[in-house]
Amino acid sequence: MATLLEVKGLKTEFHTQDGIVHAVNGVSFTVDEGETLGLVGESGCGKSVSMLSVMRLIPMPPGKIASGEVLFQGRDLLKVDDEEIRSVRGNKIAMVFQDPMTSLNPVLTIGTQIGEALELHLGMTKEQARKRSVDLLKMVGIPEAENRLDDYPHQFSGGMRQRVMIAMALSCSPQLLIADEPTTALDVTIQAQITDIVKRLKRELGMAIIWITHDLGVIAGLADRINVMYAGFIIESASNKELFANPLHPYTLGLLGSIPRLDEAHKAKLTPIEGLPPDLIEMPKGCPFYDRCHYRTEKCGTANPALELGNVRHWVACWNWQSVQKQHAAAKSS
Amino acid sequence: MTQTTLSEFQRAEDSSRMRSPWLQIVRRIVKNKFALVGILVIFLIVFVALFANVLAPYGYDAQNLDAKEQPPSSAHWLGTDALGRDMLSRLIFGARSAVFVVLLVTTVNLVLGVPLGAIAGYYGGWVDALIMRIVEILFAFPGLLFVFMIAATVKPVILGWARANGLADLARSGYLDYAVVIIALGFVGWGGLARFVRDQVMAVKVRDFVLGAFAVGVPTWKVIYRHILPNALAPIIVLLSAGMGFIALSEGYLSYLGIGLQPPNPSWGNMMAENAGRYWRTFPQSIWLVWVPALILTSIVLAFAFLGDALNEALNPEISD
Repeated sequence: MATLLEVKGLKTEFHTQDGIVHAVNGVSFTVDEGETLGLVGESGCGKSVSMLSVMRLIPMPPGKIASGEVLFQGRDLLKVDDEEIRSVRGNKIAMVFQDPMTSLNPVLTIGTQIGEALELHLGMTKEQARKRSVDLLKMVGIPEAENRLDDYPHQFSGGMRQRVMIAMALSCSPQLLIADEPTTALDVTIQAQITDIVKRLKRELGMAIIWITHDLGVIAGLADRINVMYAGFIIESASNKELFANPLHPYTLGLLGSIPRLDEAHKAKLTPIEGLPPDLIEMPKGCPFYDRCHYRTEKCGTANPALELGNVRHWVACWNWQSVQKQHAAAKSS
Repeated sequence: MTQTTLSEFQRAEDSSRMRSPWLQIVRRIVKNKFALVGILVIFLIVFVALFANVLAPYGYDAQNLDAKEQPPSSAHWLGTDALGRDMLSRLIFGARSAVFVVLLVTTVNLVLGVPLGAIAGYYGGWVDALIMRIVEILFAFPGLLFVFMIAATVKPVILGWARANGLADLARSGYLDYAVVIIALGFVGWGGLARFVRDQVMAVKVRDFVLGAFAVGVPTWKVIYRHILPNALAPIIVLLSAGMGFIALSEGYLSYLGIGLQPPNPSWGNMMAENAGRYWRTFPQSIWLVWVPALILTSIVLAFAFLGDALNEALNPEISD
């Protein structure tokens, strides 16, 4: 499959009164056409910031994309002019945000908001956009779509609003959909509905997806590949199956240990990851996970490991991944 | 039983479907008695202003020196002034002056205040600092003092310019007085609006749907006017409505003090000033000449205040509860 998006050495920082916050620290990854990439990590690890950087939606100032390249279909989006990046946003790359209750404009009708991208990017007239909006609302499963175009966001429930957001995002048939925790603000049953809709639409439309989440459970059923982020670094990257079967980074192990499982034979205790992520203003010299790691050695405190190949198409940024793998395997079999 | 509950439910659904936000606002305003009185007064004044030439029995500057300082009669319902001009006609044409000034000054305030405030609030930084310092200069002068200063300074400049450009007739006609009043009030009044719009824009621009609009590829200017400003529209409308009463009153002040509209231009302010000087000599018919314009001006200020209050309650229902 051809590469759709290639991010190289992306660094984003925020210049605040307290100092420079290093939110994203040299992130590199690729997304193939039609691929679903999961981006996992806890709050503040740089998942959203790295995706907003790809779209060049970081508020500047205080934000600043310090270095890196974002090659989308071969063009560096960080270098194109404003007009060109606008023609990509919502058209080639679309985004769905976390909170459907606040992501729609309360004073504009749903029809106006869906139609905006259609008029902007596809040059549709108001009537054409209206017609297409009805189809889009039907596509995401909103009943009585014709009657609901003139409704305002407050007349929709949270789950319905997230469907509207998805309809908006897919209006121009983007090649890449960035979903920033789209199910986090919803009930579990609605979460399942929304993920099902996205899965179905992906089958029908074939776009690539980057799905940001802090919930490994959600991503397990969706992603082809998973990147795990910590303190602005990608610390592990593997295919979905491989990551769950053979996690190599202590942080990934920690994440997996902290989700409840239904298929566990005995009721295993959930093990939280102790401690807090490092201060992003004064980044540690060594591995950012050093303070919280059960497998740390002296070397970890002095130098930050780069991603290296640990298995077939499985990269990990840890000095001790081999011993982590052995210990984990031993613990599992006992 | 189940049947009725269901149909009731259906009806509730339908009525909520029908309710556009603007319709709800109109309904809330109509419920307010004070607001209705205010709207009635405003409509009346605007109607009189529009049809002044039909409604007025005499011209606003038609003098009849044989009928000076007359008490109310069937020929002159509100009497005549020292030059024998019909008071009712002057009051009716005065409405035209007031409405004209209020509309144009409000337009100048809007055209200057909303874009400058939006730019300051959206971009922040030195742009914001620059615009807000200018606004603070406007605010540094007490009340209408700055307006008086501008009116007094601008007037000779405009008259001089008109004479120098062969417009001596225009300079003599008194029409330029309107320009002086509108410039003075327009250039001072936008500051409050700009500051207000700035604060509103700052509050709205950080909301999620603004980022959402950018993510769809909407250009910045369009995000400001289509996504941010409409969210600040309700309080802006309230502010404008309350401000209109103040503009009418200010025109009255200026004209009363002789730096606004000059006689024979019909202005409630200059009518009061002219006739107040002869108040005791021509008592009691001077009561009509001074108190009627004063009462009209007061009722307009009150009308806009009532309307502003009602709009505030209708547009921000959570505050009024």
